[in-house]
Amino acid sequence: MIELFDVTKRFGSETAVDGISLRVERGEFCALVGTSGCGKSTTLRMINRLIEHSAGEIHLDGQPVRNFDEQTLRRRIGYVIQSTGLFPHWTVARNIGLVPRLLKWPRARIQARVEELMTLLGLPMESFADKYPHQLSGGQAQRVGVARALAADPEILLMDEPFGALDPITRDALQEELRDLQSRLHKTIVFVTHDMDEALRLADRLVVMDAGRIVQQGVPLDLVREPADAFVASLLGGDDRGFKEAALTRVGARMLPLSPRLIARARVHREASLRQALAVMFREHADRLTVVDDEDMPVGELSLRRLVGARPHE
Amino acid sequence: MSERALAFGLAAALRHWWLPLVWLGLLLLASLGMAELEAGFRWLEPDSREVIYRRTDFLTLLGRHLLVVGVASLLAGLAGVGAAVLVTRPFGRDFLPLVAQLASMGQTFPPVAVLALAVPVLGFGTLPIIVALVLYGLLPIVRNSLAGLQGIDPAVQEAARGMGMSKGQVLRQVELPLAAPVILAGVRTSVTINIATAALGATVGASNLGDPIISGIVNGNTAYIVQGALPIGLLALTADSAFERLLRHLR
Ligand SMILES: Nc1ncnc2c1ncn2[C@@H]1O[C@H](COP(=O)(O)OP(=O)(O)O)[C@@H](O)[C@H]1O
Ligand SMILES: [Mg+2]
Repeated sequence: MIELFDVTKRFGSETAVDGISLRVERGEFCALVGTSGCGKSTTLRMINRLIEHSAGEIHLDGQPVRNFDEQTLRRRIGYVIQSTGLFPHWTVARNIGLVPRLLKWPRARIQARVEELMTLLGLPMESFADKYPHQLSGGQAQRVGVARALAADPEILLMDEPFGALDPITRDALQEELRDLQSRLHKTIVFVTHDMDEALRLADRLVVMDAGRIVQQGVPLDLVREPADAFVASLLGGDDRGFKEAALTRVGARMLPLSPRLIARARVHREASLRQALAVMFREHADRLTVVDDEDMPVGELSLRRLVGARPHE
Repeated sequence: MSERALAFGLAAALRHWWLPLVWLGLLLLASLGMAELEAGFRWLEPDSREVIYRRTDFLTLLGRHLLVVGVASLLAGLAGVGAAVLVTRPFGRDFLPLVAQLASMGQTFPPVAVLALAVPVLGFGTLPIIVALVLYGLLPIVRNSLAGLQGIDPAVQEAARGMGMSKGQVLRQVELPLAAPVILAGVRTSVTINIATAALGATVGASNLGDPIISGIVNGNTAYIVQGALPIGLLALTADSAFERLLRHLR
């Protein structure tokens, strides 16, 4: 659990972070969003003490971070940055094994852990262990970055726009993998991004920052439905906010049991979002979809009225 | 089995290092067999009574030359890299412009002037030439070390710190290895320049391969000059090509 109590950071006369309070529960995925320069990275880097806060308190499981030895603290916290920061003179395997080596794990255990992580992140040992960072694609390098952060099995993961430099398709794939990973590992994650769709897709909790302050925080759906002010509303897409909301709801939550009517030809997966379902309707010129499961078996149906949540008799 | 491995290793070493080895071979050949070339030098210098420099044998001169350059380069390397490391730490950053400036002044100062100034203080002999060479060789090392250390991707340093490496670990495991090729390129320049500059030592009584040259100039004996210049040139080529090889290994 991470707690910030009225934390402030000043750089000279400039206040980068202005009295923010925040609580990230164990196992929670918290996204910090906001325009560039609003203090997201500074907030993140105060947690692992790459930056010392000027005022307030930051606690880790109830202990002030200042009580920890810097190195010990950081070895307990995974850290992923946009430009990966992989060591160019070390192989992939060595990069991943960095923190376990700092923690003086026995060789065999490091080796086993590196292998485990490479498999977990879809980097086969045979083809990647001995590669150097410059031989990797952007997506592969960021996978290595994530593997390195996870190596010593930290309880906490800090991620600063980790997918910000990737092409949309790779970014999409990595977001999906991270979601998958998180559903299995239940890390406490603080994730900085300026990409609202990414935040909505990944986070359990959204923290919107502006000019060093937190302007609103809460469950993504609540923020989308009731933005605190015009700034949050515009950050959440302005008129497109409806689409963001649709993106946050699964088809499975809105579908109805299969009716005795003729089954609709157009199909959508039950785990897809309402937004995706809407796109399918648009594409197929259909106002009714058949909802299917992993085996492509029909499990329900979704009408346009149902999708938009239209009340009856309207 | 291990003999075969040894043979393989030797063959590989030879394949990579043949050029420096050729220069080294020529250097040793020239130092040992200078007298064999008497006929050639006689043709170059028909009027002189003596055409082979014999006051000291060339291998000894070569050894002294190497010693002076080696000691000076070692000191310049330690001081140069050390200074660059210090001024790139948070506590030393204030001294960065000063050190960068001092190092470049070191090079604009002619070594002859350094010698002239050093002799009254340090006396004749090897010491003033070592001082001159250290000062003179410092610039390329400092400049390259600074460039190498400052050229490291800030993200790499941020990650290194963020992963929980100590300052010493970051320096030893990340910064120095990453800067090594650039630093070594500076050492290469420094050593090569100093091999030639060391000859000036002969003017202040530091006996080395500069002796025949100075003696040649004083006595108007071109053959002597060539006999000093030839091994100096070959030594410079040996060192330069060896560094070139080493750099390629590092990259
Ligand atoms: N090391 C620093 N020194 C001085 N100012 C800084 C430093 N780091 C960040 N800032 C300033 O603090 C503010 C917030 O920066 P940052 O946290 O990086 O924003 P974000 O990550 O949200 O884009 C910016 O105005 C930035 O210029
Ligand atoms: Mg940032």
